[in-house]
Amino acid sequence: MRPNLLEVEHVNKIFTRGGFVSRRVNHAVNDVSFSLAADKPEVFTIIGESGSGKTTLAGMILNSLPPTSGQIRFRGKDLREIRSRRARLEFMSHVQAIFQNPFDAFNPLKRIDRYLFSAAQRFTECRTSEKAAERADEALHKVGLSLAEVRGRYPHEMSGGQLQRVAIARALVSNPSLIVADEPVSMIDASLRMTVINLFKKLRDEFGVSIIYITHDLATAYYISDRLIIMQKGRVVEGGDARTVLAAPQHPYSIKLRQAVLSVDDAWRDSSFTGGMPAIAT
Amino acid sequence: MIAELRSIPSSDVVKAPQAVPLLSVDGLKAYYKVKLFGIDREVRAVDDVSLKINRNEIYGLAGESSSGKTSLIKTIAGAIRPPLRVVEGSVRFAFKDGERDIYKLSPHELSAIRWSHLSYIMQGSMSVLNPVRRIKHAFADFALPHVSAKGADFTRLVERHLKRLHLDPAVLQAYPHELSGGMRQRVTIALATICSPEFIIADEPTTALDVIVQKGVLSMIREIQQEFGSSVLFVTHDMAVHANLTDRLGIMYAGRLVEEGRTRDVFKRPLHPYTAHLISSLPRIGDEAPKKGLEGSPPSLADPPPGCRFHPRCPLAIDICRREAPPMVEILPGHRTACHVAQADPARVRPVA
Repeated sequence: MRPNLLEVEHVNKIFTRGGFVSRRVNHAVNDVSFSLAADKPEVFTIIGESGSGKTTLAGMILNSLPPTSGQIRFRGKDLREIRSRRARLEFMSHVQAIFQNPFDAFNPLKRIDRYLFSAAQRFTECRTSEKAAERADEALHKVGLSLAEVRGRYPHEMSGGQLQRVAIARALVSNPSLIVADEPVSMIDASLRMTVINLFKKLRDEFGVSIIYITHDLATAYYISDRLIIMQKGRVVEGGDARTVLAAPQHPYSIKLRQAVLSVDDAWRDSSFTGGMPAIAT
Repeated sequence: MIAELRSIPSSDVVKAPQAVPLLSVDGLKAYYKVKLFGIDREVRAVDDVSLKINRNEIYGLAGESSSGKTSLIKTIAGAIRPPLRVVEGSVRFAFKDGERDIYKLSPHELSAIRWSHLSYIMQGSMSVLNPVRRIKHAFADFALPHVSAKGADFTRLVERHLKRLHLDPAVLQAYPHELSGGMRQRVTIALATICSPEFIIADEPTTALDVIVQKGVLSMIREIQQEFGSSVLFVTHDMAVHANLTDRLGIMYAGRLVEEGRTRDVFKRPLHPYTAHLISSLPRIGDEAPKKGLEGSPPSLADPPPGCRFHPRCPLAIDICRREAPPMVEILPGHRTACHVAQADPARVRPVA
């Protein structure tokens, strides 16, 4: 049997601040475990408020932060053993990241096609620029763009949604099997948000990419996730099938979180208007 | 549980039509005028916007980033600096002690109505409060010039105000970093409302907050509004917040107001294709139907498309949309829209998805 795609086992991350006398300890991630199967691509969501440790956890999965204790294995291999340049590049070609604000992720003075070309030349066997361009075009087609639209343009010439799609295309250049997306839509306008969210679905269904989706937005989490965990102050308080957990949360914190979500459907429930939203539902 | 945000169902709010609205914005155009390499460029951030806000209501303003909503509220507050200029139109307030036309006031008169009549709740509480001074100094800096009380009287006034908003007066001694994000935002709200202003502008006050905290801050704004009988212009791109908080809702797209009506009517029966799409594409817990994103991207305000600015993305666009900008027309009572198709036949506006 093939090893799991990703195994996170009793992972802890402790940040200490201050010196000998005034030592302060921040237990950012506390005993977190989960795993993603290799043969079944899925959208795995990590929900938490600010300070819940979700971004720290993402950093450890991306092998940019070492865990204080516990083990993270990618295809059976401990991330700690991935140290040499060659091994790191190999790992990065399989695990890619997408960040919150695409305008921060791209250098405003650098043309965006160059990110795609350098990703192609670094992570794949495409050494010549023609091959790299071909590869970039292929990745852009997966996100509904093409190289012709992107070539020679700078980040400020694109809208947030387009740029985030380019960021996803860049992550797809190396044909990764896992994408870690940290709040990928919170900076994107409402009319473009669903385009990006639907893209994650497509990556999972058509290209077999597993996605770790980190968010604080329960509604989009419900919409795309297969499984999820809810984190509070570094601990996983609840986890399981996304629809089950969000429909009927059990832990007091998850219940509180679920109740705090403002919903359009609930807005008029207590007034004379009870018919839902007929003009839209039909 | 949500009902606490909206204590009066909006259908019961009967507003006397003859009453003078607190704020009237008429044909307002505010452009950024930039001269670059000898070439004049203008960005039409606010293009021919007219709206009225009544006393004692929360008016929501929704729109994407760069749809001009921040430029609009800055223009309404009289807080614009070049290159943003008012090209045409007027902003008039009917305060209890007399009418004011914001762009006919002297700078001195303008600063006299700020804070006491017109105040502003900003998005980033950390950039409002000075990080190296205690909260009490922030109150002194902002509010002292606008109230008659001085010294110990002023401190008592501030403490009484905080208690009224269910905040512990001990926060006055704290530094901003010692408070949580939600607490800081409550403090900036207390700061903005200390003179019981008649008109409050709230610019994305909950966007940076976690969901659990957000609800508390929203109910605080609703409570203040009811206690003081103020009007609130509430700006956010979060449609769920609008659904739960605001009485009336205006939707902006590319510098123009495209739809306006009672919030419930707008959600129940959107009359502009953009609004219809926004509402139908909201993901909801319990709803597994696939949602579509809108193709294309918002137009550049420096070079907007001719005619209706939404037409390149609009599934209903007809020939006239490409040539003529639709005017805002009242189609249903109190419900206006700027859409040629809806004006011909409101039933044709359907969700895009």
